Amino acid sequence: MSDASTTPPSTAPNAPGTSKGSPRLRLAMVAVIIAGAVGFLLVKGLGSSLDYFKTVDQAIATKKAVGTSEFRLEGTVVRGTVTRSSTGTTFDVAGGGKTIPVENSGTPPQLFKGGMPVIVVGHFASPTSTTFLSNQIMVKHSSSYVEQHPNRVRASDGSVN
Amino acid sequence: MKRTLRRLLGPVAVALVALDVILGLFVTPPDIEQGDLVRLVYIHPALAWVALYVAFAMAGICSLLYLWPRTRSMTYDRLAASAVEIGVVFTILTLVTGSIWGRPTWGVWWTWDARLTSTALLAVMFLGYLALRRVPADPHVRARRCAVAALIAAVDVPIVHFSVIWWQTLHQGATVLNSNLTPTIHGLMAWTLLLSFVAFTLLFLWMVLVRYEIETLDEGEEDAELADALEARRQEGAPA
Repeated sequence: MSDASTTPPSTAPNAPGTSKGSPRLRLAMVAVIIAGAVGFLLVKGLGSSLDYFKTVDQAIATKKAVGTSEFRLEGTVVRGTVTRSSTGTTFDVAGGGKTIPVENSGTPPQLFKGGMPVIVVGHFASPTSTTFLSNQIMVKHSSSYVEQHPNRVRASDGSVN
Repeated sequence: MKRTLRRLLGPVAVALVALDVILGLFVTPPDIEQGDLVRLVYIHPALAWVALYVAFAMAGICSLLYLWPRTRSMTYDRLAASAVEIGVVFTILTLVTGSIWGRPTWGVWWTWDARLTSTALLAVMFLGYLALRRVPADPHVRARRCAVAALIAAVDVPIVHFSVIWWQTLHQGATVLNSNLTPTIHGLMAWTLLLSFVAFTLLFLWMVLVRYEIETLDEGEEDAELADALEARRQEGAPA
């Protein structure tokens, strides 16, 4: 063979030796990327999803510790308390026998109405105030699905019984 | 027999998915709270069901069977790999359809609650499994590595399932597989939901079968290439 003098002959024992570094490196890279992604999701998960929200009574009980820091507040929108204005929506959320008045800026989602369980993201207006200022409402719909009857009567606040 | 079954499986699965879409979009009634948004219930839970309880359960069982010395066979390795590959597609579709459903109902595309976070984690871990399969290695070494990886990732499956019970979540609890196993959906809505589960499960089985055949053909191809290369080397060495 003519090229035998310039390049070493590719003999069988040589072949796996030369390619050995590359798969190792690729394995390490895959491991690092996956570990990074898993780590990120775990930090996100442990950081926010295990303590995802405070119920209304929990929020009132821990009000001193919470101060005006942001958290997610969960409760049911009290029927008949929803007032919409050009700047936002005010309503009361109830849970565990307690009620917190909420002032929300921005547009509530489509399913928002009295009687719906919601999670509002925001903070107390001041350390002494019980008013909760929020900029986001998430509607926590249930896992039941019920057929809509076209001639069902709607209450004035848009709810149906 | 096996061939005719496989030939029938595809068209039957596609026809059932089509029937599910027709019933879901045009025949079933709107929901009392969600209106027409409820129609996503005929797609999203079925995709999640296939990903978690069919694909990843199959991958976990096949990986265990591979690791168990008595049942060790490359068939299980290939089956697990096929199930994971299609399972990842279904997981990503679950996340996408969930996000599309979440925006109008919850008001957000995404939130870091336990159900969503653990599902995203599941997708990333099984993507890692697929990446691991692409790392060149001896087939048996690769099969063992991947089987271990699949079992580690599969730990997340029950976590996803119980996340809505164990922790506070925005995502609602289960409609059918709830703690007292009393479905909170009825009539045509319930039947269409059931149909979607059957349709997507059959679709998955069909895809896995085809994927498994491709995997088997691929390996045959590799073996043939190796044999050719060895033969070429032998002939190269002969005159020297």
